[in-house]
Amino acid sequence: MSTRWYPIYQRGSPQLRIFLPNFWMKLIKPTVDQPSNLVNFACSMEMTRFDMKNYLEKIYNVKPIHIRTRIASGKCRRDPGKGYIVKNDDIKYAYVTLPRGEVFEFPDIFPNIKEQEKEYEKTLKQSKQVFDQFLEKNKERREMPGWFTF
Amino acid sequence: MRLIRFGKSSPPGFLSFIRYMSNVIPQENEEYTATPQYPPILDLSYKETVKRKAEKEYNEIKYVKTVEEKQIKLNMPRYYGFKNFMFYEPEILCESLPLTQHVTRTHIITNKDLPEYYENLNVENVEDISKDVQEVILMEVERIKKSHKLKNLKLTEVEVENILSKSIVNGINRVLMSHLSHTHEHIKNIEVDVEPRLEASWVVGGINPDERLKKIRKGHTFFKQFENDPIDRYFGYIGSPMLALRASRPLPFIMSSSEAENPDLEVPFYKYDPRSVGTRIEHRHLANVPGFWPGDANTFGTLSYIKTGHFLKRDTYFIEESEKKEARHVQAILSSYAWLYSQANYLGFTTFNDITYPIVNQTVMTNGKDFQFYIYQLNTILLNNYHISNNPKRNICWASQQLKLYEEIKDDKLIGFNEDVVKLLVKLYINEPQERLGVNLRPYLSDEEQIAADYSDDDKRKWLEKEYKHIVSNRPRHKEMDEVYQWEKIYKIDFNTRPMDKKMRFFELFEKPWKRRLNDRLPEYICRARRPHLPRHKGRYAKDYWP
Repeated sequence: MSTRWYPIYQRGSPQLRIFLPNFWMKLIKPTVDQPSNLVNFACSMEMTRFDMKNYLEKIYNVKPIHIRTRIASGKCRRDPGKGYIVKNDDIKYAYVTLPRGEVFEFPDIFPNIKEQEKEYEKTLKQSKQVFDQFLEKNKERREMPGWFTF
Repeated sequence: MRLIRFGKSSPPGFLSFIRYMSNVIPQENEEYTATPQYPPILDLSYKETVKRKAEKEYNEIKYVKTVEEKQIKLNMPRYYGFKNFMFYEPEILCESLPLTQHVTRTHIITNKDLPEYYENLNVENVEDISKDVQEVILMEVERIKKSHKLKNLKLTEVEVENILSKSIVNGINRVLMSHLSHTHEHIKNIEVDVEPRLEASWVVGGINPDERLKKIRKGHTFFKQFENDPIDRYFGYIGSPMLALRASRPLPFIMSSSEAENPDLEVPFYKYDPRSVGTRIEHRHLANVPGFWPGDANTFGTLSYIKTGHFLKRDTYFIEESEKKEARHVQAILSSYAWLYSQANYLGFTTFNDITYPIVNQTVMTNGKDFQFYIYQLNTILLNNYHISNNPKRNICWASQQLKLYEEIKDDKLIGFNEDVVKLLVKLYINEPQERLGVNLRPYLSDEEQIAADYSDDDKRKWLEKEYKHIVSNRPRHKEMDEVYQWEKIYKIDFNTRPMDKKMRFFELFEKPWKRRLNDRLPEYICRARRPHLPRHKGRYAKDYWP
């Protein structure tokens, strides 16, 4: 069940068919080395360990053998406009242990990003080279209007 | 200006006399050798220098005279205790067997019952004993069931189970001791501890550094190269067996030291942070207490019974059979290792100085009905970062299957009573502790003074006793460690919003209270009335005896 406020149905208006639940679990990439059967999640604050277990079992058919949770304090930051200190929301993290032998690897979400970056760098280098060549050619005509350059 | 003036007035021959007196003294020939001898060339790289410094410290601990002083010396670096990753007996963490094996360097051998060694021990007729054991079980179960006191206490299921198993174990022990002491002389000298306090803390290396340390290393130009180097961690264990038996001599070892170096005996290497299985962290002094104090004649444990009540709660959550089995191994390994390790500490060995001979104990895990037998041989306790990866020795744990002593109780009778379990129990009791011939049991303790009580100096004895007991008690300090308050972290450390505040706090003065050393305090104050007649400013403080 959801506790969100949805627009009240008025006759004639399109009927709302999507109701978003309160419960959600977001996979997190682990920051430290950890056993291959441990999976990290960020979850909604209302979820308990039992909720998480049910969530994974019923929706994704994943059977965890153990779940640990902790609530991490949100980071403080300076408000960009006003300059005072504001605090981000707290986050609930869940550490889900899968049965021995099961391996979870965090998926590579942007597999082509490195190639794209490489290509971008390549073109950047090329354009730099062209610009350098242009400067080299025209080093005798420094501070002259463009009309005099090659 | 010259110091002495020689003139014409000085007596004849005076100058030559001075020259004679100031001649170089002829050197003795002993100082020279035919070939020049140079001091060893030391590796001056950072890592080697640090290692040499550490080993020097470990050696210093080795040559401390008495047990108590050694324990104080171990604790010297920290006034507020070390950061310990804790293991508690009734809290067995999920998937913690690999960590436990790494931390104790234990190889598990699972048998049907006891290892081969026990086949040599002959047990023939146990009918009388079985009869008495049955009687004791029936009596204790009945007593606990009918006890009005327990009914009124509103105990949990786990507590009731523990109380029941404790009373049954006590009864069985009583029966076995009284029966066997007629035929086996050594049982008469065995000492029995009821629910002794068992604590151990040790150092284990080879574990990945945490995120914070990595960040610190990464930000430093020199330490960047060591970013992922493994570090030492302190581990602590707190538990309490139901019953522990001790003798003055050690049990004979089961596997020789050379056999225990066999690389086929696999021990998993758990490099991940211990928090990955959910261990808790506490600031504690390194306390090693095997259930008695130093100076007790019976320093070698022979047999301990450990409780299983907490599994009632745990097994509802962990349904898989393999997980349940492993959890039992974890409890037995930790309990056996901690007991043997703390005994080794009383023999003068520490986490930095390895044991020179193996020691063995026997553990029975029971709830009064199901029995599981563990035999543990401690071969090494040297697990710190410099040794964990190249120490060839392993500790061995032999685990039996879970055996049922009886099926159920019906009409005041035990149904399906298994006499084999009684036979196994008898075998553990008649396994006689023996003298280790040609082995110095306490090589790192002084010959004259092995415990603090051996010192003839009254003051020193009292001081050491007081200091040792205080450390081991792990009571918090009177003045607790300084802490950074939340508002300070936000408004002073993370964001400099109060630049005009007077800088008074420890983090503004670059102090590190957690690095305070144990002896970084004033000695005890002696009030004026108790001082001898000395000037006012003298004799204010009592003498310290830091090792």
